[in-house]
Order: sequence, then structure tokens, then C-alpha cells
Amino acid sequence: MARIELQNVEKRWGAVVGVRDVDLDIADEELVVFLGPSGCGKTTTMRMIAGLEDPSEGEIRMDGEVMNEVDARDRDVAMVFQGYALYPNMTIYENIRFPLRMRDVPKADQDRLIREAAAMVELEDYLDRKPGALSGGQRQRAALARAIVRKPQVFLMDEPLSNLDAKLRQAMRVQIKHLQRQLRITTVYVTHDQIEAMTLADRIVVMAGGSIQQIGTPDQIYRDPANTFVAGFIGSPPMNLIEGRVEGGTFSAPGISVPGLSHAEGRAVTLGVRPEDCHVAEGAAHLTGHVYGIEPTGDMTYLTVKAGDKLIEVKADRDFRADLDTPQGVTFDMDRLYLFAGESGERIR
Amino acid sequence: MASVRRKKGENLLVRYLILGGWALFCLVPVLWFLSIGLRPRTEIITPQPIYWPTFSLDAWHMIWEDWPMWQYLRNSVLAILGSVLIDLVLAIPAAYALARYEFRGRDDIAFYILSTRMMAPAIVAIPIFFLFRNLGLLDTIWALMLVYAAINLSFVTWIIRSYMLDIPKELEDAARTDGASDLRILWEIIIPAILPGIITAAVIAMIFAINEFLFTLLIASTPDAYTMSMALANFTGGSDGVIYNAIALVAFLAFLPVFLVVVAIQKHLSRGLTMGAVKG
Repeated sequence: MARIELQNVEKRWGAVVGVRDVDLDIADEELVVFLGPSGCGKTTTMRMIAGLEDPSEGEIRMDGEVMNEVDARDRDVAMVFQGYALYPNMTIYENIRFPLRMRDVPKADQDRLIREAAAMVELEDYLDRKPGALSGGQRQRAALARAIVRKPQVFLMDEPLSNLDAKLRQAMRVQIKHLQRQLRITTVYVTHDQIEAMTLADRIVVMAGGSIQQIGTPDQIYRDPANTFVAGFIGSPPMNLIEGRVEGGTFSAPGISVPGLSHAEGRAVTLGVRPEDCHVAEGAAHLTGHVYGIEPTGDMTYLTVKAGDKLIEVKADRDFRADLDTPQGVTFDMDRLYLFAGESGERIR
Repeated sequence: MASVRRKKGENLLVRYLILGGWALFCLVPVLWFLSIGLRPRTEIITPQPIYWPTFSLDAWHMIWEDWPMWQYLRNSVLAILGSVLIDLVLAIPAAYALARYEFRGRDDIAFYILSTRMMAPAIVAIPIFFLFRNLGLLDTIWALMLVYAAINLSFVTWIIRSYMLDIPKELEDAARTDGASDLRILWEIIIPAILPGIITAAVIAMIFAINEFLFTLLIASTPDAYTMSMALANFTGGSDGVIYNAIALVAFLAFLPVFLVVVAIQKHLSRGLTMGAVKG
């Protein structure tokens, strides 16, 4: 229902730069996830879209219309907060009704809309309760109902699941994605959880230090990380990043030697390899070290090998077992190696 | 099982004994006053202690029949309630601005407001007298109302502001994106959320106001504006000497309304007094 454009958006508080140089075009009906560690500027960027913060520079447009001077309450944006932000003195019914009252929706329609929204998040039986009498998951659903009841142009969700336990989080994730597809409302979702980002997003915007590191579909972000930050942030466990040098076509670092590289001759580089692209080797190997840890999870075994002072994560077969401190070789999938420039961390290969 | 149960019972007994003892300790002065107020004047000033005083309504009849006590009481109630109302009407928006808006010198202004409590009231006594004289408000309860309001405004503002600071900002952000204006946020979200704090501030303001004497003495010169605290002073001078039983009884009567209010709202009050300190 709305396209959102951010152009050279910057947010400063005095000398502190919270967000810099953000250029982003969010398509109608798209679900975009802002992903990054805390303090990376993702929430600030979202709050600028909501109108809760004014950008220090740049333009924010919705459907082509510049929104910089438009007050939050006139933006037709609904927001879901990390702490739910339900009004504690009102029942769930009144909470969901609040945005309708504020926007002068005719009384005759209010009840129907409230019940529809509550039904969508399966909260019909809890409408008479106060937020304090609800569980965390129910409160989050109530907050969702309050956001969807008035069919806004844009949904903004600020870490909506981070206060829930892991199981509930998974269920709510599915529900949020389902609702978003059903309602076809442009959505911006902020999280520091890369699993949430990967599973929910049409596109992910990875942010760090106030600026965008990479924009892409989950596949692009996973397969073609733009730099060491993105590579190290996405994936569970994350990509192994090994600092070393390329000499004579061979990457070397303590305990590690990877021949057959045609890039970055004579330069300091960071070699990246995902744990699933590392394989336990019996004979000749790219890496030789000692078993540091074994973590069987049932469907696979996480093996940690120490080479030099570097710990390398390997996703091994579920039957793999080894004693600690025994010598262990690891080979890398040569097609799936990444090289990043040593200084800048930018991707070379 | 049985021993556990008995132990629990004993614990409860001990708890009640301690709490009962504390309650008695706190109530003794009040009961003492009541007892002085309900005995004849002759039994008050004696060298020997009297363990079983004679019950007498002398003082009771005297204060209602010889003095316009109803009028004093009415003056007190009107001046105090009016002042608290003025305080709340002014303090709530001020506290909101000080808690939430960003503007230059905000913290200085907040501190300045509190600092008005720090000077001795006597310093402004004379200016206030002239002020109200020029306004033609001397010896009226309107003047008392304004003075009590002025005395209490600073800390009422300060208390309410501290409660507002404890409200998660997310709540206001949510209301704003839901389409609420600042005034509606204040009225529909903030005020209900800090009601215990507002009640706490109002009760403390009432207690200060009912105890106020200096400015009341300055402003009130006839029974038109006399309050309960002034009535007490009436029993110390004059040809009858110090009428202790009347003083005790009036003091008890002045104490009673505040006490009843506190009992009625104690749930809010205890929550209010701790809410600022403990997040939860």
C-alpha cells in the first residue's frame, strides 16, 4: 500500500552520528528487515520512518510524498514495540480500539474492526482483560492486533519478538509473516536475530556503525556477503574468518594452508569459509589443528578445531566423534571460499 | 506436616505481635490526644498521674458551641482542596513538559522549581502580605488557597515529574503512532498510568496545607478565613489560659480527615510511594 524511499538520510545528536547516508527503496507490500547488532542505527532508522525522530539530513518519502515534516500521528504508520507498549490502564479491547478512536473511525464500525483484528491473532477470548493479566505471547499478539486494526499504510516492528521465549518466537514469526502476506502491507522489521531476518525478509538490510553494509535477499546476503561484517553476522554458527596472506597462490595462516588461489597475490586477506563448507579430513588437509570441542545436536555435530590460536567451526556428520586435543584435519570446499581484503574487509572473491 | 503447620502459625503470631506493637506505638500519641480531649479541664493539669480519667464532653461542647468550629473546618477543607486542585492543574502539564520535552535549560528550570522550597518561608511573608492586601484578598479563603497552592506547587510538580520519567517512552511513541495528540497522550495514557503518583502528591500536599500556620496567621484575621490550625492557636491566649483539652480535641479533628483519606486510598498510596523507587 505504500512505497518508502530514504534518500541520504542521516541522524546526528550533536557530534554523535547515529545513522549516516542511508539510501533505501522499499517496494510496496515488501517486508524488509533491518538487521544488525545493537547500536547499529536500525531502530533509529525505523523511528525516522515512523516520524518519532527527525532526520538531520536527507529525505524520507512515502508514495513519493516527502514526509520529513509530517507528524508521526499523521503518517498512517503502525508500530509494534519490543516492550509491547500496551496501555496498562485499558483492557485489550480498549487498547485495540485506541487507534480507531484517535482517527475518528465511526463508532458503528469500531466493534467489527476490533473483533476482526482480534480474531486474526486469536485473541477473541481475552478482550476484556487488562494487559497485566496476559502472558508475553498474548501481549505481543494484542500489540499486533492494535497495529493491524486500522489497516495502516506501513507496519513498523521494532524487535517485536525479542522478549519471548524461543519456541513462542518461532510460532509468532510464522504468524507475523502470514499476517503480512494476508494484509499486503509494506513492513519494516528490526531485529538483531539473523534467523528472524533470514526467515521473514523479502530483503535484508544489514547495518553496522550507523550505515548500511549490504542490501539483498536472504539468499544474496548469505551467499554473497559484501564484507567481513556481513559474512560474520549471518549464519549460525557464523562464517569462519581467518586472517592471513596470499603468497604464490597459496593462502597461509598458522596451521592453515590453502593453495590454488588466483586473487590478492602478496596481500593481507581474510579467508572466509562457512562451517557447512568445512569437512573432516583423514589425510591431506587445508587445516591441521587439534579438536577443541564437540557439540552433538542430534541431527549434526558441531566440531571446533583449534589451529594456531584460531578456532574453526565445522558442521560435521551427526555420527562424528573425537577426543579432545587429538590432531584433526579439515578441508574446505574450494568453490565456496570467500576472500576479503585484509584492511577494508571488502569482498575480493 | 503438623510441626510445619505449627511453626507457620507461630510465625504468624510473632508477625502479628510485632506489627500490633508497632501500630500501638504509632497510635499512642493520637489516642493520648483523644483521651486529653475527652476529660474535664481539671484533670489535665495535675501533678499526679491519673490512670482512669473521668470521661467528659466539656471540650466537645465548648469547641462547637463557643467557637465557630464548623466554619473553621469548612475554611480548612475548601482552602486545602482548592489548593490541591490548583496544584494538580498546574503541576501535571508542567511536569509533563519537564519530563518529556527537550528544551534549553530544562533541567535548570526543574531544579529552580524545587529550589523554591529551600528558602525559609518567613522571607516571603511580608511581600505576600502586601501582595494579597493590594489584591484585596486578605482574610479570604481564596488567598489561603493560592498560598497553599504556591507553597506545595514545587514539590507536587517534582513528584509527578519523577513518576512521569518512570513511564516507558514506548507507551507515548505507541500512542503517537496510533494518532494521539500530546494532550490526548497526557490525558489518556500518562495520567491513568501515574494515578498512584498523583494521589501520593495530592495527599502530601494536603498534609502540608493542613499544617500550614505562618501564612494563615498572616492572611486570616477574622473567623471568615480562620482554619483548623488557627483555631488551635485561639485556645492558647485569652483570659481562659491554655485550654489543653480543646486543643487536643481540635488537633484530633484536624488529623481525622487526612487519616481517613489515607486509609481510603492506602493501596494507591503505598504503591505510589514505592513505584518511583522500584521498577516493575
